Amino acid sequence: MSAPLVTLEGAAVGYHRRPLLQGVDLEVREGDFLAVVGPNGGGKTTLVRAALGALPLLGGRRGGRRPLRIGYVPQREHVDTIWPFRAGEVVRMGRVPLLGPLRRPGQVDDEAVHRAMARVRVEHLHDHAYGDLSGGQRQRTLIARALAADPELLVLDEPTNGMDPAAELATMDLLRDLHAAGGLAVVMVSHRLENVANYAHTLAFVDKDRQLFRVGTLAEMLRPEALSALYGRPVAVRELEGRWLVYPTDAELRREVAP
Amino acid sequence: MNALREFLAAREIWGVPLTASVLAGALLGALGVYVVLRRTVFVSAALTQVSTLGLVLALLVEERIHIEAEYAPVQLVVAMVFSVAGALLLGTVRSRRLPAEAAVGGAWVAASALVVLGASRLVHAAHDLGGMVFGNAVAVPASDLAVLVAVAVFCLVVHALFRKELAFASFDPETARALGMNVPLWDGVLFLTLGLAIPVTARALGALPVFAFLTLPAAAALLARAGFRAAFLVAAAIGVLAAGGGYVLSWLWELPTGATMVALAGVLLLPGAAARMRG
Repeated sequence: MSAPLVTLEGAAVGYHRRPLLQGVDLEVREGDFLAVVGPNGGGKTTLVRAALGALPLLGGRRGGRRPLRIGYVPQREHVDTIWPFRAGEVVRMGRVPLLGPLRRPGQVDDEAVHRAMARVRVEHLHDHAYGDLSGGQRQRTLIARALAADPELLVLDEPTNGMDPAAELATMDLLRDLHAAGGLAVVMVSHRLENVANYAHTLAFVDKDRQLFRVGTLAEMLRPEALSALYGRPVAVRELEGRWLVYPTDAELRREVAP
Repeated sequence: MNALREFLAAREIWGVPLTASVLAGALLGALGVYVVLRRTVFVSAALTQVSTLGLVLALLVEERIHIEAEYAPVQLVVAMVFSVAGALLLGTVRSRRLPAEAAVGGAWVAASALVVLGASRLVHAAHDLGGMVFGNAVAVPASDLAVLVAVAVFCLVVHALFRKELAFASFDPETARALGMNVPLWDGVLFLTLGLAIPVTARALGALPVFAFLTLPAAAALLARAGFRAAFLVAAAIGVLAAGGGYVLSWLWELPTGATMVALAGVLLLPGAAARMRG
């Protein structure tokens, strides 16, 4: 088995010396597809930033491969569309950390940009203004930027937030295809379990308010006991036509939705 | 025609001030692209107040312990030190709870209050304070032009060398940080150039044109749908036109110089706005 790309051992993560989560043990290896799931504001993004080293740990140890090529896709809404960049220029930013200061992007970088845009099928948008793209096209452009760094680890923060169901499925199918092509570990953050349960191989449940951090395989985590710990109410899981469905089973909700 | 003839004959009077105005217009126009896109347009107002606060403190010290601060280069250095310190503080401290403009507004109002309080304790120099900070666009000394040239060259070199880092860290700091870039460092570099440019150009043009040139030319370029690289060139060109044209028109029509420059910069917004409205 290869050495892990990223590890956290007994980690405490948070801001301004205030830990949100403590005692976190996490490992991401080559070829993993990990989904970090929990409520909004539950500490998912904080955990991932700490794992990447973008946020100092408040305790415990961080390890893994050094140097590690990372591709990062932020929440789409965090990227301001008033900036007058073309999609190709946005994708080329993925090469900036590889180049370092004082080096200009060259032909190798241009080829990497075109390759990355072709991989997510937005090559035709290279000269379009980023701000004029649809939500789905912007998301693909940001994924292409992450791929332009030729990453070993692709990290995505709520990549399907605010998307309609068709665009959401298309984005998740794209991530599945990128992962299936090999050589890439994927870590994605989502507040919607249904969104990731049909794609991820490993799940981590995170909620700082319940001091919950639990990680395991899909089979381990899609159990009523683990799901109830995440949602704080009885939850069931059913497989229907090859897809996982997650739904609450408490009587109160059944009354609310009854016709 | 007579006014134009008189203007051309008076080249010795307007040579240095006009050169300083044009250079300041170009520098501020280009830097303004970052100011507008980062949504921190009030940064120049805050930094000129912080510069003034530095001067007031220097003058208070001078009056108390009799050192010679009332000397133009010293005044400029003090203004620049305070402006750079304020810029680095405003540029590199990003709060998760407050938008950047809250820090800018806080710095402006705190510095303004302290300037009023400090000026009230000055015995001799209070009446000169405006001139020390905001200068006089009609009569810029050659020494101020020399400092302006040096600051403009420094800013040009920094932005040319580190263009991709400054752009990435400003456009998407979250991703830049996740990829291991030192975002506070690049924010600091960007705000260092602003902190140097603002007090120097304020002495050449005045506070109002500095605020205007950090905002209007960049807004005009962005309205005209200039791309990122082109926006710097277009905004610098608009800054040159507004500063140079405003200077000449104010001379010919006997208008206040700074206000004429600002009005012309406002007029130069119109083509881009019209193009944007046409779709």
